[in-house]
Amino acid sequence: MTPSAPGEPIVTATHLTKVFHTTSRRSGRWGALSSLVAPQRASKTAVNDVSFSVGAGELVALLGPNGAGKSTTIKMLTGILQPTAGSVTVAGLDPHRNRERNARNIGAVFGQRTQLWWDLPARESLAILRDIFEIDRAAYERRLAELDELLDLSAFWDSRVRHLSLGQRVRCDLAAALLHDPPIVFLDEPTIGMDVVVKEQVREFLRHQVHERGRTVLLTTHDMTEVARLAERVVLVNHGQLVVDGTLDDIRRRFGGSWQVRVTLADPGADVAVDGLRIVDRDGPVVAFGPGDDGTPTLEDALRRIIERHRITGVVIEEDDLEDVMRQAYLDRELPDTVA
Amino acid sequence: MSTATAAPDGRRTRPWAHLLVGRVTPLGEVLAGGRVATKALQIAVAVFLSVVLWRALYVGTSSQAGLDREQAVTYAVLGTVLVSTRFSASWLNGDTVLQRMQQGTILFWFLRPMSARRYYFVRGLGELGYAQVWLAVTVLVCLPLGVIQEPDPAMLPVFVVSLLLGNAIFYELNLVLDLLCFWTVMNQSAVQIMFFVQTLLSGGFAPLWFFPDWFRTVSLLLPFQGTLNVPVSIYVGRLPASQIAGSLALQVGWVVGLWLFNRWLWERASRRVTVQGG
Repeated sequence: MTPSAPGEPIVTATHLTKVFHTTSRRSGRWGALSSLVAPQRASKTAVNDVSFSVGAGELVALLGPNGAGKSTTIKMLTGILQPTAGSVTVAGLDPHRNRERNARNIGAVFGQRTQLWWDLPARESLAILRDIFEIDRAAYERRLAELDELLDLSAFWDSRVRHLSLGQRVRCDLAAALLHDPPIVFLDEPTIGMDVVVKEQVREFLRHQVHERGRTVLLTTHDMTEVARLAERVVLVNHGQLVVDGTLDDIRRRFGGSWQVRVTLADPGADVAVDGLRIVDRDGPVVAFGPGDDGTPTLEDALRRIIERHRITGVVIEEDDLEDVMRQAYLDRELPDTVA
Repeated sequence: MSTATAAPDGRRTRPWAHLLVGRVTPLGEVLAGGRVATKALQIAVAVFLSVVLWRALYVGTSSQAGLDREQAVTYAVLGTVLVSTRFSASWLNGDTVLQRMQQGTILFWFLRPMSARRYYFVRGLGELGYAQVWLAVTVLVCLPLGVIQEPDPAMLPVFVVSLLLGNAIFYELNLVLDLLCFWTVMNQSAVQIMFFVQTLLSGGFAPLWFFPDWFRTVSLLLPFQGTLNVPVSIYVGRLPASQIAGSLALQVGWVVGLWLFNRWLWERASRRVTVQGG
């Protein structure tokens, strides 16, 4: 692989589609027998014509409700699953056709599963991965020390994996995914079930990997705080299709994320009017502004316009919770319409 | 900020490192508290009961089915140790294909620069090597105590070769079952049937020499007797010299045949990875 310049696409999914074929079992007394003789086959399209790319050194969140196709997409990007149609390129390789070469370019963490050996101390598991990835011993020790500094692994890495807490185990899995120094990291719900302290430690670790080490990170999560704090860009999929490829603001605009600015006027009797803003409520000196009928301006613009027009003694900003916005996005059944 | 790229330092400088991965199962056994002691106790009890049983069966007679008492006891002891050490280690370590399938962690076997097939092979080497250590310890303990007979020094190398081939057949047979999980997702029933059939037809329950001629003829057509009966019969001196070369050739044939079949299965299995639970 040739070195990728920052921002240059390093992960590309083009018209990616995955159809699963299953055999369903009939109910009833003779269900098992009839299923054996004449099985009922069903097809489910988990991912349908999804296209997007991730630039080198970028951190992108892949969002969507349960069953939207996020994990299937990640599994195709990592080469575990072969797409039914469309193509994937990761660091110049088709990951499914070049699994072993691709493995040297990527790290992966699946938060609900561990790649460590249950009965071995975590450090022994990491040493086995060192041998699987044929990492030079000196480089291994150097990286282990660095990962220990960032993730506090040495406090528990001599414990057997089955005895680790979830947070400890996932931190070891993060270390396992980065031992071979991959330029691209796929994280499927890495902070699921963690307490807020460990979550923040993991987020800080991911920020470090992107900003200091230049890694490319694609993560899936249901934690909207995580998205707000980490992701520069989001790709939203639902019903197997791409809905939004843009920023969180794009999602807010698309799915009715709104705000109110409640100000206290220095002059309680003043006439109130601000271009482009709607007065939602007035109670004496307290006036609530909302966006105009066309949904503009942005919150920042609105504040600037209010302060330019009126003398105020207090201000309270109320924004729709990001989770409310995402709930609307997840429930939305409109045809996908990519926002670039 | 520098963008990380492929081929960072420290890669592909240890091409032999994959062989070291074979330590995974023995290490799990040694580091999991109590498993070694439990295995030692299990083998000691099994050996003791085998000796008592087979000595009792020889009361009043000096030879049965072409085996004298010492040969029969030696056969039973070696067979017992092989049966009880070959099967369980990777299962206890949660590293079988079935367990990995059910936990959904099989996907990690396909995210490494070491193919799933090679990992399975190297792990199998370690696991069978671990079983041979138990066999060697049992022999070294039982020989001075007079529990089992000494092998004919001239036949010892032949026994070792046949034992290695037997281990290879055992590995390939179990691989067939494990690979079936890629289609069936479950194989517990098949494993239970296989354990019984393999133990019976290999001579693990009783030396095959005690079975009727038709039974031994049938078992000759199957791979199981090559896993245990052939090497152990060579050790105790029961296999006629004229049949040794043919038996070894049959073992080699089964190893090659099963290896080819499994290579074909692996290619198809690795295209059928499914991950339970999303």
